[in-house]
Amino acid sequence: MQRTFVIAAITSALLGLAGCETAPESDAVLEQARQAVAQAEADPNVSKYAPAELDRARKLLINAEGAAREKGGKNEAAAHYAYLTTQMARIAGQRAQEQVALKRIKAGETEREKILLSAHQNEPDQARAAKLEGMQASQTSRGLVLTLDDVLFDTGTAQLKSGAQRSLDQIAAFLNENPERRVQIEGFTDSDGTNDYNIELSQSRADSVAMAIINRGIDAERVRALGYGEQFPVASNADAGSRQLNRRVEIILSNGGQVIPGRVVVGAT
Amino acid sequence: MLTLGGIRNAIWCVIAFGIVACAATPMPVEKLAVARSSIERAEQAQAAQFAQVELISARNKYAVAQAAADKNDAEVAARMADQADVDAQLAESTAKAKQQEQLATEMDAGLRDLRDETLRRDNSAAGAQPQ
Repeated sequence: MQRTFVIAAITSALLGLAGCETAPESDAVLEQARQAVAQAEADPNVSKYAPAELDRARKLLINAEGAAREKGGKNEAAAHYAYLTTQMARIAGQRAQEQVALKRIKAGETEREKILLSAHQNEPDQARAAKLEGMQASQTSRGLVLTLDDVLFDTGTAQLKSGAQRSLDQIAAFLNENPERRVQIEGFTDSDGTNDYNIELSQSRADSVAMAIINRGIDAERVRALGYGEQFPVASNADAGSRQLNRRVEIILSNGGQVIPGRVVVGAT
Repeated sequence: MLTLGGIRNAIWCVIAFGIVACAATPMPVEKLAVARSSIERAEQAQAAQFAQVELISARNKYAVAQAAADKNDAEVAARMADQADVDAQLAESTAKAKQQEQLATEMDAGLRDLRDETLRRDNSAAGAQPQ
């Protein structure tokens, strides 16, 4: 051991003599290492995302400084450790940058989902309407309008036929999924019969649809039923086919939580 | 000059022998293996494309380290292996950072388009509704 030490001492003396020309280079490398570590330390992202690498860089810098002190201004060990220090500080910086970018990507993904979700809620509800299959659904300014035709009722009564159950299940499920939405049920008849009778019939049909929805667990607060009688025909009433089109119940699902405006009855009694 | 390098090499030999005399220093096989696997990781991270300079430096130093090891120069082999290792790690982390930044930038651009599109659709839907 002692012999090694002596040899090492002689070696360093010789190296010291021999190495004057490269001394500035070693100093420069060490200075570069110090700056690299200082730069990494100044970046809060580095201490946040790459503390282990920063720590390693600091320790390597201590080694480099130690080697430089031990053997004077110039030596290979100091330059070597200084080089490792600089690279490690850069690695810390790059790892932190990667994490920052990953954070940005994550935030972006969340943002995208939010946009898609709200777009989904605001869009013409094609996707949602598709769920309410079997019913004519159309988007209007009042909301999503579904039409149940009169085959779902026995003639002249407000009793819902069993065929309506599936549609009502779907509507109730839709309302459950969209708790902010309200539903307005509007009943209409053809022009046969007296106006009063038609209004009453349309109101009780709307009511029975409303009851059916409320019975499926939807808060009555969210449900409104209106009977318009023969007002607002969608067809001419001139023949049986168009009269049938007029006998209908429209179900309006609000866009968001807004209250659905009623229809303005023109020339009402 | 019967060269400083020559003198230095002679001295290293003396040191090496001195050390060998106490306890045999094996070649830094482990360091070489570490450097090798760091280089492979950098290559997998597409450093050839995103951190070419660092990757080439790592490969060169690894070659020097191997050559030194072949000549039984443990000291140089160890140093060059260590330097190749950090160069490779820097190549890998730089390549990864660049790729993630590219993705983040693409994500931002995608979000911008999505927002524009949503806005346009909302506007056209709002314009179309009140008949």
